[in-house]
Amino acid sequence: MLLELRNVGVAIGARTVLSNINMKVDSRELHVLIGPNGSGKTSLLNAIMGIKPYEVVNGQVIFMDVDVTREPPHLKARRGIAIAHQLPPVLKGIVAGKFADELVRRYGVMKIYVDTLLETLDVRYLLDRYLFDKMSGGERKRLEMFLTLLVRPKVALLDEPDSGVDIDSVEKMSNAIKVALNSGGSVVLVTHSLHMIKLLRDHIKFVHVLYGGTIIHSGLYDEVVPTIEKHGLSGALSRLVGGTH
Amino acid sequence: MNRDEVLKALTKPSPHGPDVDLSRFDIGSQTPETVDERGVERITERLGFGSQVFRRVDYLQVNESIVAKAMSEKLVKYGAVVLPTYEALRKLDWATSYSWRLIEPTVDKYTAASYLYGREYGFFIYVPPGTKVREPIYTCLFITKKNYAQLLHNIVVVDEGAELNLITGCGVPDQPTKSLHVGISEFYVGRGAKLTYTMIHAWAPDMVVRPRTAVDVHEGGEYVSYYVIYSPVESLQTYPKVYLRDRAKTTLNSVVVGTGSSIYDVGSAIILKGRESSGEILSRNLGRENSAIYARSRIESVVGPSRGHIECLGLVDGPNAVIESLPEISSSTPEAVLTHEAAIGKISEDQISYLMSKGFSEEEARAAIIKGFLSIEEPKLPHQIMEIIKRTIEYIVSRATG
Repeated sequence: MLLELRNVGVAIGARTVLSNINMKVDSRELHVLIGPNGSGKTSLLNAIMGIKPYEVVNGQVIFMDVDVTREPPHLKARRGIAIAHQLPPVLKGIVAGKFADELVRRYGVMKIYVDTLLETLDVRYLLDRYLFDKMSGGERKRLEMFLTLLVRPKVALLDEPDSGVDIDSVEKMSNAIKVALNSGGSVVLVTHSLHMIKLLRDHIKFVHVLYGGTIIHSGLYDEVVPTIEKHGLSGALSRLVGGTH
Repeated sequence: MNRDEVLKALTKPSPHGPDVDLSRFDIGSQTPETVDERGVERITERLGFGSQVFRRVDYLQVNESIVAKAMSEKLVKYGAVVLPTYEALRKLDWATSYSWRLIEPTVDKYTAASYLYGREYGFFIYVPPGTKVREPIYTCLFITKKNYAQLLHNIVVVDEGAELNLITGCGVPDQPTKSLHVGISEFYVGRGAKLTYTMIHAWAPDMVVRPRTAVDVHEGGEYVSYYVIYSPVESLQTYPKVYLRDRAKTTLNSVVVGTGSSIYDVGSAIILKGRESSGEILSRNLGRENSAIYARSRIESVVGPSRGHIECLGLVDGPNAVIESLPEISSSTPEAVLTHEAAIGKISEDQISYLMSKGFSEEEARAAIIKGFLSIEEPKLPHQIMEIIKRTIEYIVSRATG
């Protein structure tokens, strides 16, 4: 098993935000986490990565048979876990292209893979800019996905790459996810829109529905997505409670 | 110049920065000396020049000893002149017309002391019309003596259509000197000419530094400066003024890294006195330890259309460090467009977390953020100079992050 969450509970300071999260992600799998605002999707990804102030207070995060629950983010990154932040910060003075070169150097990525991602995500023209400075929502998201997938992570945690961006960008990012999967990586994708999920339909292993700080249902695409389409996310929640893979 | 008035100015403090009693220093000393070569080497390293650059320095003054290495050889082919200022003023009749023209000796006690006791040490550079000096000219002004007052007068004239890249390193070895450095710099940029001026300062915690600079940029000319100070000082105060005539332009970059208990009062002023002139002031200030940085900047427009912009950013990276940003824009014409942005903050946890999630340790993340903050991209500087600045920034970052 590549990544396993065993009864994970997450807190921000004294406040518990997630409990009893179980999930197993194997190689080349795409898992989708869907849920309403405030259900804990972002908290879960940040906690897996070890980003403060999110803290795993119960359970374990197992990566390639190693308990990495307490490891700081940079060590997890070096093991092969990567995260695409929902709102990456502006880093004035750090030029995107030079930063990408540094990542390529550190992680030893082949040029052909870099070029494929550059083209797929259409971010080459952003490389001479400072990281995320003076960029549109779509440009920020595409560049962040590029920098995340660039290192060929074993598992990529993607936090709402499709929020607030145009359809064209959603398609480019969906294609990039396919590139990552085809290159042997796994992806945990957080979203609350169905557009990207539909584009990735053929690649999805499970859709996990997060609500009220726990996973209330994990199912195949055909079990979950049509229910959400038919009843809306809030209407689907009561119908989906209990089913878990 | 009325000498009595200049004598009177010897007690006149500067409007900015701490006032300093000049009797602390050995002013006008003419003690014979031997150059401390090891000290010179150490300063060169601290400036980030490296031995390769050092071997081809065009003008080197240590205290009052002038060691002019490749001074004329390289420049003769261009018909350019590099001389000690006293020699230029003695040999070249026309040179006197550039002396004490942009800076009055009575401005304050430091200009007065330089005028009265400096004996016109410093460098004089002249580049003839249409001459583009491709290789950068390196000048170094070092102090190795204790309680010494180094009073310098530098004059640079880049004539019509000419170009010059000048880089000056000023410093002391990494040991106590308790000295004073005053550099009077008068720069003239002719019509359509271009001067890029880079100055790197590496001082010590007991040094008092008072550079005085004024630049006159003629029609269509351009002046680009890049100033870096990263060492501790007792106090440093400078406020270069750049006067722009019609269609002239300027960019003034400064990087101040405050350390120790130093006081840095570093300003810049641009006076847009010509039509279609434009200027920009970009300053980066990193406050560490117990340092205080006063970042002043002023753009004044008296004729339009003209444009000016100030960007002053500060990063407080020490519990007792202080940064004050004081941007001013002033216009007496409706045709001027003047803007400013100033921001002071600390290294954000979000930024550190972000870089850590990409595989950087916390220390590496801090270093990358500081390096990014201090790196002002200045495409108008030649690559050799950008390399020196890059090395200096690397050195600063390595010290800042242990």
